Amino acid sequence: MRRLLLVKALTRRNTRVAVAVAAIVMGAAVVCALTSLYLDISIKMSEELRAFGANFFVGPPPSQTTGQRGIDRTRLAEAIRTLPAEKLVGVSPFLYGLVRLDLGNAVLAGVDFVGLRKNSPYWQVEGGWVAVDFDERNAMVGRRLAQSMELKPGDAVTIVNGDRSFQTKVTVKGIVESGEAEDDQIFVNLSLAHKLLGLDGRVDFAMASLVAQGAEADALAADMNRRLPEIDARPIRKIARSDGQILDKIEGLMALVALIIVIITTLCVNATLTAMVAERAPEIGLQKALGATDRVIVVQFLTETAVIAAVGVSVGLVLGFALAQVLGHAVFSSWVGLRVAVVPLTLGISLISALVAAVVPVRAAVAVVPARVLRGE
Amino acid sequence: MLTRTRPLAPASPAGDAPPVIETRGLSKRFGSVAALDGVDITVTAGEFVAIMGPSGSGKTTLLNLLSCLDTPSSGHYLLDGIETAALDGAAQAVVRREKIGLVFQQFHLIPYLSAVENVMLAQHYHSVADRDEATAALARVGLGHRAGHLPSQLSGGEQQRVCIARALINQPALILADEPTGNLDEENERLVMALFQELHREGRTLVLVTHNPDLGALTDRVIRLNHGRLEA
Ligand SMILES: Nc1ncnc2c1ncn2[C@@H]1O[C@H](COP(=O)(O)OP(=O)(O)OP(=O)(O)O)[C@@H](O)[C@H]1O
Ligand SMILES: [Mg+2]
Repeated sequence: MRRLLLVKALTRRNTRVAVAVAAIVMGAAVVCALTSLYLDISIKMSEELRAFGANFFVGPPPSQTTGQRGIDRTRLAEAIRTLPAEKLVGVSPFLYGLVRLDLGNAVLAGVDFVGLRKNSPYWQVEGGWVAVDFDERNAMVGRRLAQSMELKPGDAVTIVNGDRSFQTKVTVKGIVESGEAEDDQIFVNLSLAHKLLGLDGRVDFAMASLVAQGAEADALAADMNRRLPEIDARPIRKIARSDGQILDKIEGLMALVALIIVIITTLCVNATLTAMVAERAPEIGLQKALGATDRVIVVQFLTETAVIAAVGVSVGLVLGFALAQVLGHAVFSSWVGLRVAVVPLTLGISLISALVAAVVPVRAAVAVVPARVLRGE
Repeated sequence: MLTRTRPLAPASPAGDAPPVIETRGLSKRFGSVAALDGVDITVTAGEFVAIMGPSGSGKTTLLNLLSCLDTPSSGHYLLDGIETAALDGAAQAVVRREKIGLVFQQFHLIPYLSAVENVMLAQHYHSVADRDEATAALARVGLGHRAGHLPSQLSGGEQQRVCIARALINQPALILADEPTGNLDEENERLVMALFQELHREGRTLVLVTHNPDLGALTDRVIRLNHGRLEA
């Protein structure tokens, strides 16, 4: 009989029940999607953010005693080998010098394009990257420099060195925009830079991108410095710290969105249940007249609420997981795995939200005075 | 939960039969309105009593007190030997389901439950729902063949008979009806009244509120109310 009452009471008011279920589905889906993203992606996300630009500097000690500029290329290779391969995302040497282009002077940077590309996932590139590091025919030009020199991808540009002893013609493969000093520079590969600038076999410094931060990065730097005294290695704190800040902000934003959605869900379920109780006041009065105690009425409404919530959460979990995939692909281009913790978390939050929503309506149901609602008109 | 106390003296006027209803100085005030003012009535087991009086004289108020749907402002009410005035809400609910069958002018059937399910609802809150028993109760009021119909598929008279079957189902000590024929035509009024008389012959205790003197004449005794007081 109890089940019959439950089923009939719910199916009879299918529109109202549907609204309440839909509200719970929405709330559960958002909570499920965001917690899935949070639990599964936050690790990937922090890896991606750490790779967001180089975070490890390898250069000469501040007081170089040899009188030579920068560091030796083979020494650099040795230094890089001390880093664990699985932590190393990318590395590129840098050698800087002043050169003449067709329309004026510019800073030239000799780099390893493959390593630079891995270190600079956030660079906006018009045209394309120079694909291999031995390519001496192509160059990349910073956005502002390209503007002032009137260069676009595909254009040829002549590079002349400081004492006009060497000149070469390269094709602009891509225009890069980083928002920083790179926007005023022209990039060629390191061996071409050596031909233009001299300084054979030397680089000014190298930048690496490591999947390591804090104490771990400190330890890697210390290890490198100990093994190679002529090298100064250090993590770049600023980037590592802002990684964490961005991550915190994204997490905070996700929590805020989830909170707002849960509040909206609660209000919506509350409104629906309140309307349902008002509609059923005569029925509740009759049940009381037939001997139903307040406890029976409370249990009846909480059971109905729990059924609504259970149906809503089940659908919401499926929908939320699908939503997590969509978000995962849109934002992080990766699948989101289902973490077991998401299910009890979503279930708990949704049930609490539904119960909170039911408090006022259930009180209203208990407050129904049978003598009043049953009185003949 | 229910405690039996000795009936208040003097004993019932009808002789040997024990009183089912015994009120002493029963009063109910709604703010400044004294809806019921010092009412003493006694109804013995097996009696069929009508309560009559002009509109606003307190009939419904009295019936609500007798059915434990409301608590008196002052006075005593012994139902089947139990002092009810002091009971809390939960205990009142228990008294209602154990002792009382209610018949309403507006029937108050649950619209999405079939006739038999409406009867089973009273069983459910009393003890255990039993479809066969409920169907038998419907047969008793001549509706055995309509057990599966919804209230909206039944006439007013048929709905009232479902309501009576629901009132009977738990074998209550007392059946209380507030203008049960107020919404019915004469034909159905006679049918319902015949049912009440049949129940009376079976020895049940009935209290009927009515405006109709013809119906009052069919009962053992008429209690008249005026301005919340008993008329001599
Ligand atoms: N809940 C209430 N609040 C305030 N006054 C009430 C309430 N219920 C009843 N009354 C008043 O108590 C008096 C008796 O009302 P009651 O409903 O008992 O009359 P009645 O005899 O049943 O009348 P009728 O024949 O019209 O049904 C009336 O004056 C009525 O206005
Ligand atoms: Mg009345």
